[in-house]
Amino acid sequence: MPIVIFQLPDGTERKVTAESGTALMQAAVSNGVDGIVAECGGNASCATCHVYVDEQHTALVGPPNGVEEEMLDFTAAERRATSRLSCQVRLSDALDGLVVHVPEEQV
Amino acid sequence: MSTPTTAAPGAPVVDFDLAQLRRDPYPAYAELRRTAPLAWVPSVGRHLLTRYGDIVHAEKLPEVFSSREQGSLLLRTVGPNLLREDGAEHRLLRAGAEPPTRPRQVRDLWADAFEKNAHDLLERIAGRGEADLVADFAEPLAAANLALVLGLRNATADDIAEWSRAMMAANGNYADDPDVWLRAERATDAIEEAVAEIAGAVRREPDGSVISSMVHADMALSAIQNNVKVVIGGGVNEPRDVFGVGAQALLNRPDVRDRVLADPSLWKRVFEETARWVSPIGMYPRQLVQDHEIAGVALPAGSRVALVIASGNRDESVFERADEFDIDRPHRPHLAFGGGPHFCMGAWVARHEVSGLAWPLVFSRLKGLRLDDGTEDHMEGWVFRGLTSLHVTWQAA
Repeated sequence: MPIVIFQLPDGTERKVTAESGTALMQAAVSNGVDGIVAECGGNASCATCHVYVDEQHTALVGPPNGVEEEMLDFTAAERRATSRLSCQVRLSDALDGLVVHVPEEQV
Repeated sequence: MSTPTTAAPGAPVVDFDLAQLRRDPYPAYAELRRTAPLAWVPSVGRHLLTRYGDIVHAEKLPEVFSSREQGSLLLRTVGPNLLREDGAEHRLLRAGAEPPTRPRQVRDLWADAFEKNAHDLLERIAGRGEADLVADFAEPLAAANLALVLGLRNATADDIAEWSRAMMAANGNYADDPDVWLRAERATDAIEEAVAEIAGAVRREPDGSVISSMVHADMALSAIQNNVKVVIGGGVNEPRDVFGVGAQALLNRPDVRDRVLADPSLWKRVFEETARWVSPIGMYPRQLVQDHEIAGVALPAGSRVALVIASGNRDESVFERADEFDIDRPHRPHLAFGGGPHFCMGAWVARHEVSGLAWPLVFSRLKGLRLDDGTEDHMEGWVFRGLTSLHVTWQAA
């Protein structure tokens, strides 16, 4: 049961416990984390579940996949080297303690 | 599972004059949100769900709120298609059709041709000094762009527009008018023929289009034909209507227009706000596959529910002064593109063709563009809503 920490744009943070195997987006949405919109429900069609992975964890989380890679060019907030669509990040025990930053806007 | 044709126990019953709803549904929605956020509406034969939060809840539970609606007019019109599927079956159909509509493909494959289509249409009317921008520009543009993305190079923009109108009439043919069915059948026959011809050609020579993508995803011809019918059914009026409503809003608000012309990055906000303010698709149906409580009502399996996204987009608890067009409102996600696995496949196409191309081009090319004082344009519809015309004038020199 990995724990994920969402750093919100207002400076506060949300700590949520997620099931291994679920998507990072799902962990956010199920726990009502503000700023993860996820309009398309996890199909990498909408680019509204954008997060910045904290630099200490980028290597562990890995790079975006093919479909996600192109969608990241169209996020509302600027794309950075640490950008991922949270619907494409699968949580596991190895990612326990993961820190991600929620951008200012998703639409 | 049976399909109840009456209210679920405990659901309030509210009836509306559908003609009034077509003229202006928003006062009725405001009343429903206040007093009966889930209400059985006999003239629609469905429970209307009208609050933002409840609609989002339903969209996020496709395993409860099924798209496989029994007795669907859309199914009758076009046959089995991706809009009326769930789960794995839907995913397969969507995965086959979607790639050419993704934003990078829009930019790399379609943007130049979209721009040429818009220029060509505008050149045809530029010297006139007056036009109905819905009929003379937005509709033919949406149809021409759609033909391109679908890969229907054997169809004209006029064909596409007529097919779309014929199918849309059938989707709303609650009165069971035989002439309406006949016209739709002629349209769907013509589409099937056109798609079959193209499918053969792109099998040998892929062209990046939606039909080509579906052919190479090994989808059956009938599935490809039906999905193309659905895309044509919705793909003309939605960009057309958001174009018209947004253009009129800016022409009514020269202060906003001037700001947008000075800062073109604001076109994106105009688009999202227009889609929120007057959603081109006002509602879509779902059917419960299990008992589920929503908005304080325990709905039994089989219940039919209409997710009224046009109402959710005017929900005062989410959008302050929700009835006003305001491009500066705090960014909150609107529901105009739907949500979950059925999130609008044309969203990126529409954003680009309308806010990236059509609006900026029209507002810069037609000098002194203004609403024509002598005519009255009005919006119509509640399932689908938009301006029926947009009469404008400009200096033709």
